[in-house]
Amino acid sequence: MSQAWLLRRLLGVVPLLLAISVLLFTIVHLAPGGPTDVYADNPSVTPQALAEIRIAYGLDQPLPVQYLRWASAMARGVWGYSIRTGRPVTTEIAERLPASLLLGGTALALSALLALPIGILSAALRRTAVDRVLTLVSFAGISVPVFWLALMLQLLFSIHWTLLPAAGYETIGDTGVLDHLRHLAMPAAVLSLATIANWSRFLRGSLVDALQQDYVRTAYAKGHGTAGVIVHHALRNALLPVVTIISLDLASLISGAIITETVFAWPGIGRLFVESMDARDYPVLMGLMMLGSLALVLANLCADLVYTLIDPRIRYE
Amino acid sequence: MRGPRTPIGARASVAALLLSFALVSSVTSVAAPLPLPSASPVHGGTLTVGISYDIDTLNVYVTAALGDIEAAVVEGLVAPDEHAHYVPVLATEVPTLANGGIELTHQGKAMRVTYHLRPGVLWQDGVPLTSADVKFTWEAVKDPHFLAESKDGCEGVESIDTPDAATAVVNYRSVSPAFASTLFTFGILPRHLLAGKDLNHDPYNDKPLGTGPFMVSEFRRGQYVVLDRNPLYWGRDAAGRPLPYLDRIIFNVIPNSNTLGTLIRAGEILFAPRIPVMLAKQLRGTAGIDLVTGPSLGWSYLDFGMKQVPALRDPAVRRAIAEAINRAALVKAAGNYPQPIHSTVLPVFETLYDPEPDAAVPDYDPAAANAALDLAGYPRGPDGIRVREGRPLELGITTQSGDIDGEIAEQILIAELKAIGIAAYADNKSGIAYRQARYKGAFDLQYGRITTAADPVYSMFYGTHGPLNGRGYTSAAMDAALARMETSLVPEERRAAGAEMQRVFARDLPSLPLLSYVSIAAKTRRLQGYVTNPTNMTDFVGVAHWWLSPRGTAP
Repeated sequence: MSQAWLLRRLLGVVPLLLAISVLLFTIVHLAPGGPTDVYADNPSVTPQALAEIRIAYGLDQPLPVQYLRWASAMARGVWGYSIRTGRPVTTEIAERLPASLLLGGTALALSALLALPIGILSAALRRTAVDRVLTLVSFAGISVPVFWLALMLQLLFSIHWTLLPAAGYETIGDTGVLDHLRHLAMPAAVLSLATIANWSRFLRGSLVDALQQDYVRTAYAKGHGTAGVIVHHALRNALLPVVTIISLDLASLISGAIITETVFAWPGIGRLFVESMDARDYPVLMGLMMLGSLALVLANLCADLVYTLIDPRIRYE
Repeated sequence: MRGPRTPIGARASVAALLLSFALVSSVTSVAAPLPLPSASPVHGGTLTVGISYDIDTLNVYVTAALGDIEAAVVEGLVAPDEHAHYVPVLATEVPTLANGGIELTHQGKAMRVTYHLRPGVLWQDGVPLTSADVKFTWEAVKDPHFLAESKDGCEGVESIDTPDAATAVVNYRSVSPAFASTLFTFGILPRHLLAGKDLNHDPYNDKPLGTGPFMVSEFRRGQYVVLDRNPLYWGRDAAGRPLPYLDRIIFNVIPNSNTLGTLIRAGEILFAPRIPVMLAKQLRGTAGIDLVTGPSLGWSYLDFGMKQVPALRDPAVRRAIAEAINRAALVKAAGNYPQPIHSTVLPVFETLYDPEPDAAVPDYDPAAANAALDLAGYPRGPDGIRVREGRPLELGITTQSGDIDGEIAEQILIAELKAIGIAAYADNKSGIAYRQARYKGAFDLQYGRITTAADPVYSMFYGTHGPLNGRGYTSAAMDAALARMETSLVPEERRAAGAEMQRVFARDLPSLPLLSYVSIAAKTRRLQGYVTNPTNMTDFVGVAHWWLSPRGTAP
C-alpha cells in the first residue's frame, strides 16, 4: 500500500460525499411536508409570520440555493440549528452519539467474539451434529424478529427474574460501570444476535470453500493438524469476504438501531433520526445522514486496508 | 398543538364564566375500586412517570408535545380543574362579568379583563411575580420572531395595562369568550430572566423557570426529565401544610407501549398517563396497579376528504358511509372504554349539546347505506366493489402510523366499508406528513382523535376558513351559526346557535363523529390524591396534591 494510493482514496471521498449529499438533500426535500407544517393548524401564526419563519431558515429559497448554502456551511464546519429544538445540530448529535457508539460497539464486539469461533467450529465440523445445531441456531438468530426477542428478554429478565432493568440507558444518579452494563446487556444481546448468526454463516461458507482448496490438501499432506491448517492456511483466505461484511456493519455504529433503541428506550442516533424525520428537521437529518455516509465510506476504506494485512498478495499502488 | 390528538385551535375556549356544564369526573379503577386514601397525605417520595413521546423542548409555548412536564413547572393565571371548570391559580379569582373581572367596552363590542395576582408568589429563583410578567408573556409570545407552536389568544389582545405590580388589565379588541384557556392559562414567562433574549434559542427552553410546584433539575434528551420539589411554592393544603407532597418526579421517555407495560409491571414506572387502550387491556388485573379512567374532552371521528375525492362531495355518499359504520364494533375493539356519539358536540358540553334527533348524524344502517349508494349511481361491480364510469370506488383511510388504537379502528372501518362495496385501504402517515395530510386535505378519509380545551371553538374545525378544516367543507349556514355561537357572552344565544350548528352539521356531514373517549392512566396503588383532568392541560395541572403512601401501607 503506497501513501499515494491512500491519498488518492482519501481525496476520492470528497466528491463521493458531495454526490451523496446532493442525492440525500433532494430525497429529504421530496418527502411530503416541511418543518413549518407544524404551524399549519395554528391560526395565530399568520401567513406573514410563516413567511418570516421560512426566511429565517432559508426555506424560501429555491432548492439548489438551499443546498449550496447548506453545503458551504458544512464545508466550514457549520452544521446549523435544529428547526425542532433550536439547538445546534452538533449538540443534538453529540448528545446521542455516545449511546449509539456504546450499544453498537458492544454489539459488534460481542458479534466478533462469538461469530468467528462459531463459524470456524461449524466449518471444521461440517456435516456433523454440532454443525447442524449451530446452523439451526444461526438461522433462528437471523429469523427471529428483533422486537419480539426484545420483549421476550424483557419479560424473562425484568419481570420473571428481575435481574436487569427493562429499558433505559442508566439509572438516574448512578454513573457506575455496573449500572451501564446492566442496562446494556439486553439491547446489546438483541442487536448482536442477528449479526452473530450472519457473520458466522458467512465465515462458515467461506471457510468451507477454502478448506476444499488444493493448498489445504497440501498442508494436510505435510502433516499439519486440522487446527493448524485452519488457523495458518485456510482462515486468512476465508476472512476476506467476512471483513467486507464487518466493515459494512461498522457503519451501523453511527447510524443507530431504530427498533432496538425504541424498544429499550435507548437514547441513540436511530431514535433521533426518526424524530427528526417526523418533524422534517432538515438540518439534523442532513447532519445524521452525512455522518452515516462518512462512516460507511471510511469503513470501506478500512476494509481495503485490512485486506492488505490479511493477504500480503493484495497491494495498492 | 399538543401532540397528535390536540390541535392548537382546540385550546381556544369559551370564557370560564360560561362553563356551567357539570362534567362528572368519574375516576374509577378497573382492576379494583380506587382505594380511598388510608391516611392523611405524607410528604416525600419519588414518582417515576412513563411518557410515550419524546420531548423536544420544555418551553410550553414551543413544544409540539403534550405539556405534562410543563404543567408541573409553569403556571398560568387560571387553569381547568378536574371538572373542566376554570379555577384561579396565579390570579386570586377567575374574572367574570359577575365579579367585575370582565367589563364590556366600546358599546359592548370589546372587553376588558382584570386579573388580580395572588400575593406572595415567587419565581423558583426567588424573584416576586408581578403584573409586568403577565404583560411580558403576551409581548414575548406575540413577537413574530418567536417561533411558537402556540400563539393562541395573542391576536385578540390590544394592550395590557399594569396599574400596579399585582394587577394586570387586558384590553381585548372584541368580545372574546375564548380568553380563559388561551395565553394566560398555558403559563406566565419570567420577564426578569427573558427580557431581551432570543426565546428561540434560550437555555430557558431546556430548563424553564416557573412558579409551579416543581422545578427542572435535569433534562436528558431522549431519556428523562427530573423535577424536584420547589421549596418556594406558594401552595398550601387544607391543613396549611406546604405543597407539593412529592419530593421528585422523574419523567422517563418510553417510546414503545409494550416496554412501558413491562416497566409498569416491573414497578420501574409508577404512573403512566393516557395509555393506549391496548395496553390498558394488557394491564387489567395486574397486582398493585390501578387503571384509572376519567372523562376526556376528546372524540374520534372519520373525516371526508372533499377536497381530494369528488365522490365525497356528494352528501348521499357521505351519508351512506356514515350508515355503514357500526360504532358498537369500534367500542368493543377499544376495550369498551369509549362511548358512541352522534354529534360533534360531546354530551358533556351541556350548554351546547342538542339531544334532538335532527342534530344527530346517522346511525348504523347498512341496508340504507347500500340503497343510497345504488341510488347515487354507484352500482356494484362483479367483485362486489362499487363502480362509476368504470372506476372502482376506492378510498384510502389515513391515520397516524404507530397509533395502535387508531390502526385497529382503521381495520374495522375498512371491513365495514367493504361490506357496502367500498374498497377501503390503509394510507397511514406519521409526523409532519400526517399533519400535512390532515390539515391540508391530502386524504380520502381520515380517522383521528381530538382532545380539546374545556370548550372547543368549533369554527376551527368546521368554519370555511378554520385552520383545522382540511377537508374542504364550506357552508354559509355553518359559518353564520358558528359566528353567533363564538362571539356571544349570553348563554341562551350560544345554546340556540349551538343547536343550529349541530343541525347543519348533521345535514351536511362534513365529518363523522364516532366515539367519545375516556382518559386511561395506569398508576401504582401507592399514588394518592391523583385525579384525571379531562382537558388538554393534562393531569399534571393538579400534581401538587399527589402523594405516595409509604411502601407496604397502600390499600
